[in-house]
Amino acid sequence: MRIGLLTEGGYPYVSGDARLWCDRLVRGLGQHEFDVYALSRSQRQEDEGWIPLPPNVRRVRTAPLWPAEDDDVVLGRRARRRFTECFGELAAVLCGASGGPSASGSGPVSGGGPVSGGGPVSGGTSIPEADRFANALYGLAELAREEGGLSGALRSEAAVRTLERACRAPGAQRAAREARVPDLLTVAAYLERALRPLSLDWYEDNGLGAVDLCHAASGGPAVLPGLLARHFTGVPLLVTEYGVRLRTHYLTAPEAPPAVRSLLAAFHGRLAAEAYARAETVTAGNTHARRWQERCGADREKLRTVYPGMDARPFAEVGESPECADPDTLVWVGRVEPAKDLVSLLHAFAEVRKRQPRTRLRIVGAPAGAEGAAYLGHCRTLAAQLFPDEADGPHTAGDNPVSFEEIGGPDLPAAADAYASGAVTVLSSVVEGFPISLVEAMLCGRATVSTDVGAVVEVIGGTGLVVPPRNPRALAEACVTLLRDPERRERLGAAARARALELFTVEQNIEAFHGIYLEIVSRTPIRRVVLDEAGEPLPFAYPAEAHVPVRWADPATRLVARGGPGWATDGPVRAATPVPAPEGAR
Amino acid sequence: MNDLGERDRPGTPTSPGAWDARSERTLNTASTTSPAPETATDSEQPAKPETATSSEPPAETVTGRTPSTRETGTDRKAAAPRRGAADPVKALMHRHRELCERAVDPLEIAAGLEAHGITDRTAARFRHRDVFSLAEEMYARASRDGDGPPPAAPAAPRACADWALLTLLPGALCAAAVAAVHLTHGRSRLFAAAAGALAVALALHAALRRGPLSAADRTTPGRTTTWTAWLIGYSLLGNGLLDSAVAGGPDGLPTGTADGPWPLTAAPVLALALACAPAAWIAHLFTGRARRRLAASRGLDDFAAAVRPLLLGAFALFLGTLAALLVLCTAALDEPAAYAEALTLGALLFLARLLTTHGFSYAPAVVLTATATVQAAALATVFAARLPGCGLLATPVDILVTTWGAGSVPTLACGAAALALLIHATRKLTRASAHAPPEPAR
Repeated sequence: MRIGLLTEGGYPYVSGDARLWCDRLVRGLGQHEFDVYALSRSQRQEDEGWIPLPPNVRRVRTAPLWPAEDDDVVLGRRARRRFTECFGELAAVLCGASGGPSASGSGPVSGGGPVSGGGPVSGGTSIPEADRFANALYGLAELAREEGGLSGALRSEAAVRTLERACRAPGAQRAAREARVPDLLTVAAYLERALRPLSLDWYEDNGLGAVDLCHAASGGPAVLPGLLARHFTGVPLLVTEYGVRLRTHYLTAPEAPPAVRSLLAAFHGRLAAEAYARAETVTAGNTHARRWQERCGADREKLRTVYPGMDARPFAEVGESPECADPDTLVWVGRVEPAKDLVSLLHAFAEVRKRQPRTRLRIVGAPAGAEGAAYLGHCRTLAAQLFPDEADGPHTAGDNPVSFEEIGGPDLPAAADAYASGAVTVLSSVVEGFPISLVEAMLCGRATVSTDVGAVVEVIGGTGLVVPPRNPRALAEACVTLLRDPERRERLGAAARARALELFTVEQNIEAFHGIYLEIVSRTPIRRVVLDEAGEPLPFAYPAEAHVPVRWADPATRLVARGGPGWATDGPVRAATPVPAPEGAR
Repeated sequence: MNDLGERDRPGTPTSPGAWDARSERTLNTASTTSPAPETATDSEQPAKPETATSSEPPAETVTGRTPSTRETGTDRKAAAPRRGAADPVKALMHRHRELCERAVDPLEIAAGLEAHGITDRTAARFRHRDVFSLAEEMYARASRDGDGPPPAAPAAPRACADWALLTLLPGALCAAAVAAVHLTHGRSRLFAAAAGALAVALALHAALRRGPLSAADRTTPGRTTTWTAWLIGYSLLGNGLLDSAVAGGPDGLPTGTADGPWPLTAAPVLALALACAPAAWIAHLFTGRARRRLAASRGLDDFAAAVRPLLLGAFALFLGTLAALLVLCTAALDEPAAYAEALTLGALLFLARLLTTHGFSYAPAVVLTATATVQAAALATVFAARLPGCGLLATPVDILVTTWGAGSVPTLACGAAALALLIHATRKLTRASAHAPPEPAR
């Protein structure tokens, strides 16, 4: 099977997001060929180069999403008119009264359906809106394909003028109506960058047209090539989101006037809704992401949760020898930053010390960025103020019960040693996505106390204690409970390790994607015309037996709700046979 | 689940009373016995992680109840008004006031709330099914009638010492070269002239590399260099050549003075070289002002209307400065006045450069090429007319030269070209996209 892996600022680049996951996926599925189509985020990223690629990566094509030289394509009059039409339509949808995928942007909440409905976008008005967006997008894509590029046109005065007209049109949102000229320019420049995949030449028969399946490794701009490949050649699309791109957009959007933020949010919302609507399957990294996807209009039947995989081997030794833990030590592992709320942890530890005076706390982790370094300094000061140095006797040198360490020193050569040194692992974050340090602690077979944030509850299941965030007292209470009860600690640790080994290993992750690939291909096989050397269609390229007049798999089959093991479904695997990679079509 | 969703539909409370039976119980307990109301909601939550394993019942006590029973009286009093208010969402909105006011749709509030650690479980405390519906209520209730902060004035491009000094360089070198040519004789004059031309060309190149006169994209090579050089060369030597050609010459090579058989007119070139610095400052002013107008204007047409006088003003300012410089140079060098041709040439070069710096390099290249071609053709026809049978070719130029003098040819060519570029510039440079702030290099 030939898979087109679509990434944005990701996989083959050394500094890419999620490159580790993609690398494991590509190496783990050695029986499939991968074509990597990567969009790079910056010149620096491009300069840093690629990570070593395994042999089953057949080709890598890259394109910049950052400002680069333009293509000097001058549109003719008819092309210009078509461009203005399509772009006007796109702008009108973005400015439209029902901005955002929730269709409840205007007026009181009564319009917004309850999320419990789950299904597609609520409300009758938004479905034609979604269609309009899709039509405009594909219209622009077709134009770009015919003309050879659109970036000049997207940056032209005509685009800005079209945008202005859409913002001033009756029915536009209030924020959009207030757009000023600089806002229009900002939005036009952003759209030009975001729509750059439209101008690429990836959709020909020797590019994405030749793959059996497109796998977008993230939402946002990375799905655009997949959507276009689906539009042009019918290649099925799989979208994987470990963090929902739309949510990331909201959180990282730079400070800008409301008009800009409103239009860009509408664009990302519409794009996400379109991707979820067209994708065969959408996978989420955890329930939280899944909820966002459902909210943005993903059909529940398409959604599957595939947990991120962690390499369990480094933790095997520690996990199988639970007795090596120091019974009086709490461990915190992670990147030091304000969202981890170490202050709360220190206050909780003060409470713990009152009841268990011999307890020690090891904070293991490197600061993240300048802010993290400042925060670490603050925490050190606080620890020094809260806990005076103490010694065993009058003649020995003292030491602070809270120690700040980093992985990689002589004391702690690896992360597993950090977990090994403590009896209880604590997680005190106020904000958390998928808590990797928690999974590592689980793999090490350690009892854990964590705050109820992000995917913590989902990860921990019943194998650890969970307390509300920003509640040092509850955190201390839970820690003391575990410190006083070694038996329970052991029980919880064993259960946690078993759970982690079942759910969060690399093998599980790869297996799940393998299953999804086979399933998608079995449901939407591409039947290409096989060409011979002269470029003529080759008759009888597929034996008649390849077309069996029955459905291999019922498209309405309900997917297993939560990342069910792909190998459990036998039927789809067999159906993969009628889709050989057609040699002649390359 | 469904009826719960119905009941949890966000909306403004219609009465100060209780929401439903459950909240009535909460309200009552909050006002009479005052245990923290979250205990009531907490105990009703369906999914406690710890309940998944039956062997760990005490875990639940850790999460909610134990702390609340252990709370001292003073603690509770501090917490009570916040938690027990009849409208908890209002307090939440107050806390996230900024988020609510700046949000452009409910999902943005939801993302912001989650970033502040509010989960579905917390949302349950506000009688909502999840963060999304809580965010929708907050979005609907937030007042967004206050206008946003006034648009910040854009960072005007800073004047830098490097380009300010560099633009003075061509003028200084040109003055030095002219002085050297005047002071030397014979062969050394030739060397001085060659060295001066080379030095001025290099200085000009350096001055146009950076600062407000630099091209928008460095990637495209200058297509106009040759033609610009021709135009300047013509203003230096062309009139003398044309004059002598019409009279039947030229009888010798230029001697580098204004009174030979092929006279040299250095004043226009010196004035143009000196005008580099004011041109840079005027372009700098124009860019800064245009950005400010850009930030202040509501629509594209407003912007065009505001920039057009700005552009014409900048153009007029440059012409005025150039005229003053010309008067000075002509007086200093004691040469016959040739204001019209120098002014039109300066206008043409200034407009071409202004267009190029804003990213429109096509039209200036075409116009400069055309102008230089016209000038060259005028010279060529005069010489071609000496061929037998081609006498008619020189007639137009002859008439021009005899009527208005040799300066009329470059004046007409450059004037027409400058007019065309001016019209072009009033259309192109009044577009907002021409003044888009440069994208941050990443």
